[in-house]
Amino acid sequence: MQIDLQNIIPQYIDSNHIDRSEVWNRTVVISPGEHLHIVAPSGTGKTSLISFIYGLRTDYSGEIRYDGQNVKTLSTERFSSLRRTDISIIFQDLQLFPDETARQNVEIKRMLKPYHPPEKIDDMARRLGISGKLDQPVKTCSYGEQQRIAIIRSLMQPFHYLLLDEPYSHLDEANRANAMQLLYEECEQRGAAMIFADLKPLELLKGERVLML
Amino acid sequence: MELNYKKIQPLILSGKNNLSRGIGYVGLFVGILILLVALQTFVNIRALLQENNPRKQGYDYISVSRTITNENMGRDNSFSAKDLQLLRAAPGVQEISPLYSNKFRAEASAGSVMPFSTDLFLESIDNSFIDSVPPAFSWQPGQTDVPLIFSSDFLEIYNVFAPAQGLPQVSAKTISSINIMLTCSGPLGTQHYRAGIVAFSDRINSILVPRSFLNWNNLHLDGDTLTRIERVYIRTKDANNPQLISYLDRGNYHLNKDKVKFSRIKGILQNIVAALGIFGVLVIALALMLFSFYVRLMIARSRDNLRLLLVLGYSPAWLAKSVARTWLPVYGIIIVLALLGTQFLHLLFRNLPFVNQGEIPWVVHWSVAVTALVLLLITTLLNAALVRKELQRLV
Repeated sequence: MQIDLQNIIPQYIDSNHIDRSEVWNRTVVISPGEHLHIVAPSGTGKTSLISFIYGLRTDYSGEIRYDGQNVKTLSTERFSSLRRTDISIIFQDLQLFPDETARQNVEIKRMLKPYHPPEKIDDMARRLGISGKLDQPVKTCSYGEQQRIAIIRSLMQPFHYLLLDEPYSHLDEANRANAMQLLYEECEQRGAAMIFADLKPLELLKGERVLML
Repeated sequence: MELNYKKIQPLILSGKNNLSRGIGYVGLFVGILILLVALQTFVNIRALLQENNPRKQGYDYISVSRTITNENMGRDNSFSAKDLQLLRAAPGVQEISPLYSNKFRAEASAGSVMPFSTDLFLESIDNSFIDSVPPAFSWQPGQTDVPLIFSSDFLEIYNVFAPAQGLPQVSAKTISSINIMLTCSGPLGTQHYRAGIVAFSDRINSILVPRSFLNWNNLHLDGDTLTRIERVYIRTKDANNPQLISYLDRGNYHLNKDKVKFSRIKGILQNIVAALGIFGVLVIALALMLFSFYVRLMIARSRDNLRLLLVLGYSPAWLAKSVARTWLPVYGIIIVLALLGTQFLHLLFRNLPFVNQGEIPWVVHWSVAVTALVLLLITTLLNAALVRKELQRLV
């Protein structure tokens, strides 16, 4: 699968910003297995871009194509299918079920299209240092712990593209390194591309193409 | 791996609106029960009030004559050719048949079998109007045996007054085996016949003879086959046709009111039951409306969770189907309870004193069960469509 961005311009964006951007109003092709790092200050449209690519919003001009097909023409059922098997995401606002436990949150996603067995949840939780939080309601976990739960959730399915919207904002250096390592391994296992949006470039990058938004 | 809806069900059905849900269930049960009971009652009424008339063929037969008043008494109140023509063209009339009567004198006696003799009136009518015409009901000139079709009402009247007159009561079978000595006389001569009852009529209250017998004896004993027509039978699809009844009332005709009243009663009963059925449908519609509010409320309350499930990749169609399916067992139970309730009430009705149990089977009519199944299908489909529509709004 391949994702192309063809002259995307959000409806709200300032035209001055468009001229300076390496993404808006440009042709950007994200190939399988590629690591693309989108760097953008706050308010310049990182979350919007991720939302456009994931199909959550359509308030833009231009085209985003999955394997040549304009995403605006895809049906809701088709999108559901793609989100189960081709595209995974870590939201900036995490979007967990607050009253469910960490394990339940992950399982709700995992059972859609299992890529790993249930035991893998415990492995990843151990690796990210949140084993003890798995059976707690998410609303009782800290934001950093919730971010790690969201990361594990995103890795429970098959995907060709992993979208990340500021996934480490509340993690310390050590946890950030652990999380990134886990993500790289999972993407490599799948031959998947990573589209990673953040405020500033990360030091832990491995061969990413960096684009300024 | 099959997706397990039970694991995400708590995210959706978290509402505690049990009271409105319960009211909706009760309303649906009551509505369905009313509808099914109305349908079964309609079937029962039709079975109980059906005439066992093999020649009815879906028609009603009404006897029509002129109403005799003080004003027209003593005058010619017979039907003219024009009267017959107008009657034939009246609203709701399929066909008419006049009753022709004897102009000669007819005396009947039972000989030594029974000390009984009387003058008779004999009539004839188109065979297609008679409810029971056996093959023996025919006559050729020269034949001394004459077949009669006797009115069941007349036999009943006889058996009522016979004991007071010292006469034996007789059954239909016995009277059919009696040879009746029939003496027909007129200005031109006398004929003696042996008559026998070959059938009884519930429809025509007369003593019928074949037309050929009447014509021959009218001609050879009285010199004329022409007779005045005092009574006509009408064949109609619906004796309760208001236009027909109104036409006959305006024409100052006298009708055999029992027949019409009977049809009217049947019509009224069936209309009442139909109205009950419509009421049942309204109650069902109201209950379904209440359910739709409940579904909308439930989805609105779970909007955030549902939206997140859709964002995570849950199929809107699968979610809609799974949510709708949660109500399927409840609907099924309601329908089964309503069917059982109908069966129970039907058995109670069957045990009423005026009901001839032989006419009504103990189990409810198949159309009631089919209606119940159709209602289950409709409620399920409506529910599923509503859930799908509400979920589409979230996408």
